[in-house]
Amino acid sequence: MVKPAPREHGMYAWANPWFRWSVVPLAVLTIVSMLVGFVWLPSVHGDFSAQGLWESICRAAGVPGTWTPADTSTRGAPPSTDVVLERRMALSGANDAVGRGATLALNCTMCHGAQGMSSSNAPNLAGQYPEVVIKQLLDYKSGRRSHTLMQSLARNLSHRDIEDLAAYFAYLPKARTAPTTYDETLPALVRVGDPLRNIAPCISCHGGVDQKLGAPWIEGMPKDYLVEQLGAFKTGTRRNDSQAQMRNMARPMTPKEIDEVAAFYARKASAGQGP
Amino acid sequence: MFHASKLVLAHFWVAFVAFLGAILLGEWQMFVRSPLAQWVNNPEHYYRSVTAHGTVMAYVLPTLVAMGFGYALTELSLRRPLIGLRWAWGGFWLVVLGTAIAAVTMALGKASVLYTFYPPMIASPFYYIGIVLVVVGSWIWVGLMTVNLRAWRKANPGATVPLAMFGNVAGAYLWAWTSVGAATEVLVLILPASLGLTDTINAGLARVFFSWTLHAIVYFWLMPAYIAFYTLVPRAIGGRLYSDTMGRVAFVLFLVFSMPIGIHHLFADPQVGAGFKFVHAAMTAMVSVPTLLTVFTIVASVEIAGRLRGGKGVFGWIKTLPWGNPMMLAVTFSFVMLGFGGAGGIINMSYQLNETIHNTQWVTGHFHLIFAGAIVLMYFMVAYELWPQLTSCGPLPPGLMKAQIWLWFIGMMVLSMPWHLVGLLGMPRRMAYYDYSHPAIAPQAWTVIASTLGGLLLVISAFILVYILAAAHRRPKTVPAPFSFSAMAHAGGRTPVALNGFGLWVAMMIGLTVVNYGFPIAQLAMLKEASVPVIPIGSR
Repeated sequence: MVKPAPREHGMYAWANPWFRWSVVPLAVLTIVSMLVGFVWLPSVHGDFSAQGLWESICRAAGVPGTWTPADTSTRGAPPSTDVVLERRMALSGANDAVGRGATLALNCTMCHGAQGMSSSNAPNLAGQYPEVVIKQLLDYKSGRRSHTLMQSLARNLSHRDIEDLAAYFAYLPKARTAPTTYDETLPALVRVGDPLRNIAPCISCHGGVDQKLGAPWIEGMPKDYLVEQLGAFKTGTRRNDSQAQMRNMARPMTPKEIDEVAAFYARKASAGQGP
Repeated sequence: MFHASKLVLAHFWVAFVAFLGAILLGEWQMFVRSPLAQWVNNPEHYYRSVTAHGTVMAYVLPTLVAMGFGYALTELSLRRPLIGLRWAWGGFWLVVLGTAIAAVTMALGKASVLYTFYPPMIASPFYYIGIVLVVVGSWIWVGLMTVNLRAWRKANPGATVPLAMFGNVAGAYLWAWTSVGAATEVLVLILPASLGLTDTINAGLARVFFSWTLHAIVYFWLMPAYIAFYTLVPRAIGGRLYSDTMGRVAFVLFLVFSMPIGIHHLFADPQVGAGFKFVHAAMTAMVSVPTLLTVFTIVASVEIAGRLRGGKGVFGWIKTLPWGNPMMLAVTFSFVMLGFGGAGGIINMSYQLNETIHNTQWVTGHFHLIFAGAIVLMYFMVAYELWPQLTSCGPLPPGLMKAQIWLWFIGMMVLSMPWHLVGLLGMPRRMAYYDYSHPAIAPQAWTVIASTLGGLLLVISAFILVYILAAAHRRPKTVPAPFSFSAMAHAGGRTPVALNGFGLWVAMMIGLTVVNYGFPIAQLAMLKEASVPVIPIGSR
């Protein structure tokens, strides 16, 4: 004899035990884990519970009442730069911007050369990425990067002047004869860096593997300039790299390595230029 | 099979050809960062390869297998022709087109962002458009599974949905809801940035959206394997399915618990509050329940096979199991890898323990062992089971199949166990090279060589798989035996109404997602300071 099937309730009926036994335990599980995660566990952490239960719950939810302590004495040094790099800074400028920039650039020729190619130890600017020139000039203007001459020159430049100068220098032909590409002959630090000392390869930002926004092209730069800047990053006297990326690269480098890398990039100059 | 054979074959072939290419890339990656090779000169090539390997293995292969297997299950378990064959072909070609677009973009070096969508790194828009097409193609499959189930229910009012189809549709619904996270991330946040419409992106919010998809996608990958555990394994080895109800419970538990747990991938991310991290960790622990239920049920079903073959005593049934049967071998290896991988996973999901292995090679080892090992091995078995139906090739050569399964198991263990070990020692994942000459890591060099050799076994195994499947097409045609699923140990049981439909479980899945994700998403979306400049990859 076939046993009659028990009366079946609808899926969503309270009388359906499957419904009861899945919804209630799930709700209990959720509530209990919420209580543990938002009330119990934070209560044993002093920094969570110092300002009462509600503040502790807010912190556990990721929204503390205040993000930084009111006492500013514990805050770190001033920010390294005020400039936020944006992609639109990298766009090439309009013709009139280039023309205006060319006029303004007459002020720069004494050190940076008539065509943006320096014959002293100032950096070459011909063909430099526009966002690099914008960022450095803004940093000089605000005092985040220091140089006696550059700070006083940048102080009087308007934002538009700076953008026009950047457009002009970007418009000038690049000095490099061949871009740095990866091959076995590159010095190890340039090609693969030193992973165990957290030194990234130069070519992963400065062109070759990738060219990161805000990283200058440095092929053909005067060697003395490169050595000086790496040294300044190493000691922290230059600190306008927004994420401390260059300070962190330069700090573990030995003077010999700095010399090697600088010599490598300086050699990659155009035919008319000295090493 | 009625008229979906060609469709299913197309899905499996594209999946396995892509898989063959991607496994070669994986082995190349292993080789170039082992002490056997010089440091890779251009690390960008390494990351390009990782992107391609991951995109194919994580998105293309499992999606196509789930879709193809789903279409086959629809015809085989419902015993009626697939409705919407044209739509299914449309979905297939969308997946193929999307894969091709993404592949070209990756090959050009415009998408070396790895395959996880973590801004502010942004690839070329074509990469994302390709992936979106793959997902849209799979949504057509989700729709078709619903339509076919509905039509069958209408024709068979009050009947119990066959377990295979039940699992299949559970997988489809899981995927539909899972993919909403990454789809939102790509369409709302990433594509505008990638197309240059915005300069900044809310990176924290994007990562939370990706985590929505990132963990539940794993259970979408896993569904075909679990369907095979329940509905193919007991039959193939001459046992009975111990409990049909347990299978249904496992499938609906995956629906409920695989979604609201993804933040355990963001334990090290500062933008999510510690409270939510804990809740997600607790819920992640719950998702081990359906796996434990499955292991219990399948081992019980296997025991029935051993006892039917005359096994006696507490352990005597193990000796009498059909060890010469490829499926027996596969399910054993799959469970061994599931065991190690699952144990590792419990460490990953623990909020505190995770700190020791976060972003180390341990993680790579974990997901290779559990997905590429336990799950993909069952994908092979699904293909072996379906092939005689699809190609009328007669039985496949058991010797070659067993060699392939053995190689896959040994290869995967030799590949992933050293990764776990060096992960504990702190070796980071996603590095293009290591300085083995440095005394601090010189002692770990042998592990990378071991993994390379394990990878080599996997490559050989993959080629044997493709050879077996390709050779079957050339064999004389025979009329295939009618396809059957596992018989139940306790036939005639009544299936509760709650386990014959999805309404309650889908409601719980969505409800729990809203509870666990609603606040972090809303809070990050309203946080202006969360936007950061994008970093386009390969743009200069």
